[in-house]
Amino acid sequence: MKFQIEDVTVYFPYDNIYPEQYSYMVELKRALDAKGHALLEMPTGTGKTIALLSLITSYALSKPSNPIKLLYCTRTVHEMEKTLAELRLLHQYQLRHLGPAARILALGLSSRKNLCINPAVVSAENRDSVDAGCRKLTASWVRALAVENPNIPTCQFFENYEKAASEAVLPPGVYTLQDLRAFGRDKGWCPYFLARHMVQFANVVVYSYQYLLDPKVAGIISKEMQRESVVVFDEAHNIDNVCIEALSVSVRRQTLEGATRNLSKMAQEINRFKATDAGRLRAEYNRLVEGLAQRGNLPISDTWLANPALPDDILKEAVPGNIRRAEHFLSVLRRLVQYLHGRLETENVEKEGPVAFVASINSQAGIDQKMLKFCYDRLHSLMLTLEITDTDEFLHIQTICDFATLVGTYTRGFSIIIEPFDERMPHIPDPVLQLSCHDASLAIKPVFERFQSVVITSGTLSPIDLYPRLLNFNPVVSRSFTMSLTRNCICPMVLTRGSDQLPVSTKFDMRSDPGVVRNYGRLLLEMVSVVPDGIVCFFVSYSYMDGIVNTWNESGILKEIMQHKLVFIETQDVVETTLALDNYRRACDCGRGAVFFSVARGKVAEGIDFDRHYGRLVIMFGVPFQYTLSRILLARLEYLRETFQIKEGDFLTFDALRQAAQCVGRVIRSKADYGMMIFADKRYSRHDKRSKLPGWILSHLRDAHLNLSTDMALHIAREFLRKMAQPYDKAGVSGRKTLLSEEDLEKMGDGTTNEMLF
Amino acid sequence: MHNGTGSLPFVQFKPIKNFTSPSSVSCIGLVGVLEVKPRPKPYAFIHSILGFSLFIYTSMNDMEHRKTNDGEGRRLDGEEEEEEEDEDEGNGRGLDAWERAYADERSWESLQEDESGLLRPIDNKTIYHAQYRRRIRSLYSSTTTARIQKGLIRYLYIVVDLSRAASEMDFKPSRMAVVAKHIEAFIREFFDQNPLSQIGLVTIKDGLAQCLTDLGGSPDSHVKALMGKLECSGDSSLQNALDLVHGYLNQIPSYGHREVLILYSALSTCDPGDIMETIQECKKSKIRCSVIGLSAEIFICRHLCQETGGSYSVALDESHFKELLLEHAPPPPAIAEFAIANLIKMGFPQRAAEGVISICSCHKEAKVGGGYTCPRCKARVCELPTECRICGLTLVSSPHLARSYHHLFPIPPFDEVSLSLLNNPHQRSSRACFGCQESLLIPGNKPTLCVACPKCKQHFCLDCDIYIHESLHNCPGCESFRHSKIVSVTEE
Repeated sequence: MKFQIEDVTVYFPYDNIYPEQYSYMVELKRALDAKGHALLEMPTGTGKTIALLSLITSYALSKPSNPIKLLYCTRTVHEMEKTLAELRLLHQYQLRHLGPAARILALGLSSRKNLCINPAVVSAENRDSVDAGCRKLTASWVRALAVENPNIPTCQFFENYEKAASEAVLPPGVYTLQDLRAFGRDKGWCPYFLARHMVQFANVVVYSYQYLLDPKVAGIISKEMQRESVVVFDEAHNIDNVCIEALSVSVRRQTLEGATRNLSKMAQEINRFKATDAGRLRAEYNRLVEGLAQRGNLPISDTWLANPALPDDILKEAVPGNIRRAEHFLSVLRRLVQYLHGRLETENVEKEGPVAFVASINSQAGIDQKMLKFCYDRLHSLMLTLEITDTDEFLHIQTICDFATLVGTYTRGFSIIIEPFDERMPHIPDPVLQLSCHDASLAIKPVFERFQSVVITSGTLSPIDLYPRLLNFNPVVSRSFTMSLTRNCICPMVLTRGSDQLPVSTKFDMRSDPGVVRNYGRLLLEMVSVVPDGIVCFFVSYSYMDGIVNTWNESGILKEIMQHKLVFIETQDVVETTLALDNYRRACDCGRGAVFFSVARGKVAEGIDFDRHYGRLVIMFGVPFQYTLSRILLARLEYLRETFQIKEGDFLTFDALRQAAQCVGRVIRSKADYGMMIFADKRYSRHDKRSKLPGWILSHLRDAHLNLSTDMALHIAREFLRKMAQPYDKAGVSGRKTLLSEEDLEKMGDGTTNEMLF
Repeated sequence: MHNGTGSLPFVQFKPIKNFTSPSSVSCIGLVGVLEVKPRPKPYAFIHSILGFSLFIYTSMNDMEHRKTNDGEGRRLDGEEEEEEEDEDEGNGRGLDAWERAYADERSWESLQEDESGLLRPIDNKTIYHAQYRRRIRSLYSSTTTARIQKGLIRYLYIVVDLSRAASEMDFKPSRMAVVAKHIEAFIREFFDQNPLSQIGLVTIKDGLAQCLTDLGGSPDSHVKALMGKLECSGDSSLQNALDLVHGYLNQIPSYGHREVLILYSALSTCDPGDIMETIQECKKSKIRCSVIGLSAEIFICRHLCQETGGSYSVALDESHFKELLLEHAPPPPAIAEFAIANLIKMGFPQRAAEGVISICSCHKEAKVGGGYTCPRCKARVCELPTECRICGLTLVSSPHLARSYHHLFPIPPFDEVSLSLLNNPHQRSSRACFGCQESLLIPGNKPTLCVACPKCKQHFCLDCDIYIHESLHNCPGCESFRHSKIVSVTEE
């Protein structure tokens, strides 16, 4: 269908549209008109992605003189593929209506691991070794050598791509990663470099958060994006954590040992070069004198390192004299590693600001702030000169230089924390030095500044006023949409008491109470007997889950549960968890029924969907607060209070509740689906906690369901499941229209839309 | 289970017993063990009069006549029993009244408020009728758009889940008892509507499927067998049941329709192998599997029904369960591959003479009088329809065939009539229901809802509408019209 939103004709590939999609588009359009940033919350399963894509591409089509580019950031490769598939559908629809005028180029960009088609390279097990494998074949000096000596292997796909030179372009269309690989195989061109090249010309680019937020990567990939771009961060409820992680480094003993090995290897290389080709080192020295601005004119296959600090902070000045010579630089690094070694030896927990830390390095190791700041670039240059291709081996020294540069660049928003052992296992010495970033706005600031519109969207962004403060920006539009449903297909409940009327909670002083553990067990036991197929349980932490499952096992509750359903448990091992998930799904499929025990903040809570029969019920045992004794968290809280005036309690509750909402949101992925959510903790009934849940959950949380005991919850569950099993009418019952057709939209006109819908 | 305190008065006594009421209308139903005399039931009497009055217009045979009465009587009887059971419950449970209401019934939830916040009396009748209209319409639209062939000769296995979950008490007195009660009604209704078909019973218990009765056409033997086996324990296995039924149904000749109706209490299935393979096999042998769940939607059941072309539904409460179960009584549309015209050899046995002693081939007992004689091998059988034990001939009587016939030519649903039309003073005749002659205007001179047959344009009240579509299968208006035409033709 197609319809007008103010002056833009929107092409929407389906015959009907949900009212909330329509209002989402209206808000988004206003944000684009205002050339400002937007913060939009809309529940999952309402077609957020297609609404976004359809509005933004239609907006671009309606303004051909000033085409905007869409940078769409997803968290996982799977989501990337889904988005592109959706876009293809839309594109085909637009082509049918507009003809060739609507042609766009859209492509996904991912790491070499996902795009490489050279069988010898892509078979490596992790991302870093694929990268290194690629460089071994494509680095400029390797290729230069190969011209003389045909025995040196090169990548034929890259060679073909280079040979085609300017002719190597993608025809317009929508390319998923798979399409890119197929296209590459077809033409014999390297899909990775082709995609990276084409990103500059594409109308829509779908890639991962890191390409914009991690300064190391963003410097290479996203440098040349025009200002007239719309950046979308999808599923962005954790965007502050992504930003923080991008600028945080942790150094362990292994890192230091590895770095020492790297250093000695580099020293050998330098000696070898000195003997054979001293000219190279001298040339490098001269280049460094001129400054580091050379990076732009290196061949693309060689640019794999970029400064971890932000573009604004890189001064276009020459590298300080005392690290220009390779051997001098090495000895500086050696001293740095030595110094860090010394710091790790400590017995106590230490916490320091970057300024104090730099001062202490200066006095003890004689390295000043400027030298630290240039470490990363200098290392990069040196590795190029030394023609090092197996970069995966040199990760350790890169980490050290990364750390040095960050410490040298920033004076605020960071702290250095040294912990001699893990808090929970005080007997095992495992010293770790962490440079942790507290300020999420640092990493995202250049994005806000460079692009005219940034859209942050997710199913759970509540409370929506906190995000602008955390990320330090001013959205022109910030709204939360609710879901229009034909039936009440979600049933949230707050369970505060067990069947014996004693309160249940995972509060620290109550969590080990046998009564609470028993009541939780009984709750699950009763639920497995009335809920069909899959049930997902989330616990607050691994240690708590281990404890409670053990107790259940001893008291025989687990055995009783197993009579009804099979039990699967998430562990910290990815392979094991994947296997468990796989079997869980099979148990749900074949009717045996299964329970999955998982941990909030775990891998499962973030990325795995438990839609349809894979999750008819999700139980959130307790409130998933962060580990509040963690030094990093404490430091961050302090920083937030001082800088943004966000109270500790507020932030902790916000964080816990968004995690809880994220967990329970796993069960419902579309409107045809249904599921129940049980918040099993007495603290959820308090207003300050509850009110931070997203609107689409709150609107279904009836007052009568706020203070339930196990038996009442059981009754509600029974009734709800029976009701949901009845056939229903998708178009919506009398009065509540949930699907709008083209005519409906025309009738509504522009101004009255919102009043009519909500 | 902590709540299974053993105070299960309903399971302990044998609740079910056949009895014949003293009236001429034969009633078979469920009665609690307490010595309860059937109370006088004035409304039953009125209804049966109503039944008779309708027949004045129809040219039904004797058979139909008896049947309708039968149905009426039984239905009423059933209602009465329910009442009595409710009373029993009050005494029987070890819970206080407030506790029971809180835990089980929550009767306040069914109250509704109107716009101004006042409590509204629950208007069951209109809701019921609206539901019925919807059903009729959907049924009709699905069948008559292209005069679909229906499978009249059905071989139906009813699978009853008697696993642990069947003892749950969310249906009163227990799921198992409710299921058994309604299966009985269903079996009788089924044979009423499909006299040529056969039923078999299978139970699932302790993870095993067990054949209770083989395919047969005698309702009583099935009911008796089921009532004797009402105990539940263990897990439930859908696969075992399907395997068993598949084995039996695979031998059925191709003109017969293979169907399975599963009444499933459990929420999971504990299978020995891959159930998906079994489902595919059922699909391959064209077995139509339908499931009625008693607690919640289960994926595997939905999958099974989707694959094999059956229907899946979940019961909300007892009356809904009954409704869902009875939906399976009319024959389903024929599966395309089987829909080729086919000649079937059938025998029409004669009723044996009174007073003759002979050994019947079905029970191997000597019997005096009654029974039928197979026209081919002269063996004696007790009941029709059946298959001759000796020569394997299908034995039916002609009314059986006649009764199966109406499924092929259903009456179109009646149109709802607008009120203004009724108020038209010129059309005096249409003010009363053509069926029961009751006035369509209720005392306050306000018209009620009423319907009209699209062919003969006669008006009917809602009760007659239901009666005509569900029991009579003939429109009195059209019949009398045709009759008068025939008469006028002969007169000329």
